[in-house]
Amino acid sequence: MTDKINDPVAMWQKMVGEMEKGFNSFANQAMSSPEFSQAMNRAGGAAAGAQKQLGELMEKYLVTMNLPSREQVTGLAERLQSIEAQIGEMKSMLSQMAASSGITQGFDSAPRPPRTKRPPSENGEPT
Amino acid sequence: MNAPAGLDFASIPERIQSEVQRAIQRSIKGVEYFSTSGPSLGSTPKDVLHSRGTMNLYHYRPMSDEIYRVPVLIVMATTNRGYILDLVPGQSFIEFLLKRGYDVYMLDWSAPRPEEKSLRMEDYVLDFIPDCVRRVQADSGEQDVSVIGYCFGGVLSLLYGSIHKDGPMKNLICFTTPIDFREMKLFSNFSDRRYFDVDHLVDSVGNVPPEMILSSFEMLRPASRTVSQIQLWENIWNDEFVKSYRMFDRWATDTLPLAGEYFRTITKDLMWDNKLFNDTMSVGGRAAKLEDIKVPILHAVAEHDHIVPYEAAKHLIAKIGSADKEEVMLKGGHVSLVAGANAVKRLWPKLDSWLGKRST
Repeated sequence: MTDKINDPVAMWQKMVGEMEKGFNSFANQAMSSPEFSQAMNRAGGAAAGAQKQLGELMEKYLVTMNLPSREQVTGLAERLQSIEAQIGEMKSMLSQMAASSGITQGFDSAPRPPRTKRPPSENGEPT
Repeated sequence: MNAPAGLDFASIPERIQSEVQRAIQRSIKGVEYFSTSGPSLGSTPKDVLHSRGTMNLYHYRPMSDEIYRVPVLIVMATTNRGYILDLVPGQSFIEFLLKRGYDVYMLDWSAPRPEEKSLRMEDYVLDFIPDCVRRVQADSGEQDVSVIGYCFGGVLSLLYGSIHKDGPMKNLICFTTPIDFREMKLFSNFSDRRYFDVDHLVDSVGNVPPEMILSSFEMLRPASRTVSQIQLWENIWNDEFVKSYRMFDRWATDTLPLAGEYFRTITKDLMWDNKLFNDTMSVGGRAAKLEDIKVPILHAVAEHDHIVPYEAAKHLIAKIGSADKEEVMLKGGHVSLVAGANAVKRLWPKLDSWLGKRST
């Protein structure tokens, strides 16, 4: 304890900790005000608007350059997603068929441990 | 001149030597830090049971000779990656559960794609979770499923449980789950309906960018990132500290975007109208009242949670309709409650003793 009082490293660490607490508390108070919310959201709204305009501008530019637009890429992504979903369904069906025919016990085809575990207290083991 | 009380002059040379050694180590390890990647996270063996857009369902390979009858489905928060619950061996909640004999599944999220901006709360609560539950049932061969929800994953689990009151959820465990959104004071102020035009934001950007989510989390403790970097430099000689720093820092900055329509509903229904707390919440036209949840529930909250303050979470147990319900408050913060050295000692054993006897 006394070592800590005179230890410059410990003192520095304590000071940093206190400064962190103090600054966080001060900032939290400032950020609780409606004025802060108003200013933050005004800036955020402007940034979102700018992002939207930039996106539209980029789309026009891509069309001019004969490159696929975002909409077209999104369309491709949707088709891919639909193929992924169908593959997933097929895997799931195969897994169910395999399970019902008793070939495997699970999707990963590894044998599963029996579902017979009891909580330690019921077995007389310490909890 | 007298020595200040408690100052041991004999230890000064030793202390200077130790500080010089640490300074040298800092330089060496500092170079190492920037030239190496962090520890590999989320490496507990698992199989992807199903994947559909933003939704991923994993099944972890059992690690014990005998498992409990009831499988466990973990529902991760939609803002963050699930590997916080599977950091490294010895500090992995998933590994802990597997070794204690649970059959573990996780509903984890990928970043929603631009075309998924139209995903709504209904998609999460009435499609993704029920779909995963059905797949867990089919894979495990069991009808009952225990659900664990972390943070907003807890909110989704509550909505799911309150709508699907006839099962098959057998037990529900929530970690740091807010229900009274008025009490999330800063988030509430950031999204003040007088100034925050959520429609303009969502209509402009589609999915809410991860940078925005991360900034709003960091604004809750604006000095903490700088201080943590100072602490990293001070402790860079300490391999364990650096490993831990890298794990948590990587996870904290690996924030996910949020689907636009989903974010719109969170803002309007939860942040503005506090519907879950006021018992007026509905999803896809189906009423979601906490009193309709009758299964055993454990709610773990953190004493020093700055993201979900206790005031925002404390009414959950009172409002739930279950007869078998318990809240446990543990030391730690929003993340250290569930991951890291504190969680190993506190939350995980508590959860095991609660869930084990309800999993047969």
